[in-house]
Amino acid sequence: MITVENLTRKFKDITAVENISFDIDESEIFGFLGPNGAGKTTTIRMLSTLISPDSGKITINGKDTRSHGEYIREITGLLTESPGMYEKISAYDNLKYYSSFYNIPDDRRNKNIEKYLKMFDLWERKDDLAGTYSKGMKQKLALSRALIHEPKILLLDEPTAGLDPESAHMVRNFIDSLKKEKTTVFLCTHNLEEASSLSDRVCIIKKKIIRIATLLELQNGDRGKRVEIVFRDDADKYTKLIKETSHIKNIQTDKNKAMLVIENPEISNPIILKKLVDSGAKIIYFNQIKASLEEIYLDLIRDEKGK
Amino acid sequence: MKNACLIFKKEIKEIIKNKNIWLPILIITLIFSISLPLGFILGSSPILEDEDTLNFINKVFGQVDEPLRVLIGFILKQLLIFLLFMPAMVPSLIAPASIIMEKENNTLEPLLATPLKTSELLLGKSLTALIPTFVISTINFIILIIVVDISAYIKLGYMPLPNAEWVIVAFLLSPILSFIITMASVIVSSKSTDIRSAQGVGAVIILPIYLIIGLQLAGLFLLNITYLLIGSLALLIVCPFVLRLAVKIFDRENILTRWKMKA
Repeated sequence: MITVENLTRKFKDITAVENISFDIDESEIFGFLGPNGAGKTTTIRMLSTLISPDSGKITINGKDTRSHGEYIREITGLLTESPGMYEKISAYDNLKYYSSFYNIPDDRRNKNIEKYLKMFDLWERKDDLAGTYSKGMKQKLALSRALIHEPKILLLDEPTAGLDPESAHMVRNFIDSLKKEKTTVFLCTHNLEEASSLSDRVCIIKKKIIRIATLLELQNGDRGKRVEIVFRDDADKYTKLIKETSHIKNIQTDKNKAMLVIENPEISNPIILKKLVDSGAKIIYFNQIKASLEEIYLDLIRDEKGK
Repeated sequence: MKNACLIFKKEIKEIIKNKNIWLPILIITLIFSISLPLGFILGSSPILEDEDTLNFINKVFGQVDEPLRVLIGFILKQLLIFLLFMPAMVPSLIAPASIIMEKENNTLEPLLATPLKTSELLLGKSLTALIPTFVISTINFIILIIVVDISAYIKLGYMPLPNAEWVIVAFLLSPILSFIITMASVIVSSKSTDIRSAQGVGAVIILPIYLIIGLQLAGLFLLNITYLLIGSLALLIVCPFVLRLAVKIFDRENILTRWKMKA
């Protein structure tokens, strides 16, 4: 659905993104993660044909963004970082105005306005000026605006920023439900929990692409797997014993808790467990922990900084 | 064109609600199209009792039989310049307000993400400034003619307007001037985040108009059809240049990366 090849964009002497490439399939939710200034907004602007790349190529639904800007804007919906609404006209009129630039029949437009305003609990206040809306309400209105023409591709820049937990949950459920409608979602977010719960794949970027993978691939990567052991007594008593086992990359203890980083847990875990039991250790529990996206992300960003 | 009309319709609704735009227009109309012409023409007789005024008339027009008629003709030359106030002022109030409000509300990016072309956006914004300017200027022209004709009829028993000079100013010079000021306001607004400073364009461009009034009052220069046509032609030559610059500035990429935006 989206193919990005060797994309580079500079602003004067500053490189915003450098030689990035990725593909996104139809109805895939593609999480795009990176620290501030990593090039996320620049990428989303290039995907939505708002700005052009200096070099490289973007193809959306088989069309080059450079030569088919209007077509691409017709089939994409963009949620910008800042909701941006006309404050002195009503929420309903804001949606009516923006949607009038898309090629959709009037009755469908009106139905969609009603559908999304109701979905995001804004229908009761549809005639209120957008300027009187709270930040969260504006964000929901902006999301409605991005969806109003039923785009095939949704480009979302921080969709749950400024939303209360209930609304954020509702928006996440909604994004998840878009898969059924075969909508492709490009999700820029700082919220790693959101990215891990929604994305089929995540791309970690810091000007260049650091990694593209599914969450499972990232968790099964070469960073070692972690095992947490909680003892009835002090964990320090057993560190020497554990260290004797091969494949242990690291061990940290805190009171009765030991955290191990193990290269090959399938082999090492039974050995460690047997040694501990044989030595008379009283184990409350022994648990293999999968690294969270946040931990993986922070590790990757840290590694990148160290280069 | 349809998209430009959609922008125009929405903008006009907002302008009608914005008293910072229509209040100055109303005040200027009351002062320059009603109060001043009435005062000048109805109060012209006592002016003629002043020896300096007679000397001035003799200096500029030579020996005349009907000094009052000549004086009113001279006043009409000054009032003619008032016709240019609206074409200079209205677009410089509307165009910056329309563009800078978009910046303040961060509405440009989502707008540019629709299939709208930037040329349609520029056209829509320009029409928002140009059409009200033309309507207001024409209304102003009609009011001024009615006021002048009634007061001149009371004073001299004849109605001097409209004449060729006034028609040239109202329907040739004014639209050209308002087009240039609209484009200049668009250009300045792209680099500004403050409505008031961007609205200063009109004030700057209005200065030569004051200069013309000053030169006429000093007896050094009198507007006539030839000068007006030359002036119109000169301004017409400027039009393609300001249009080209405005089109260049109104590029999607320029708007998002080079325009000065609110922090």
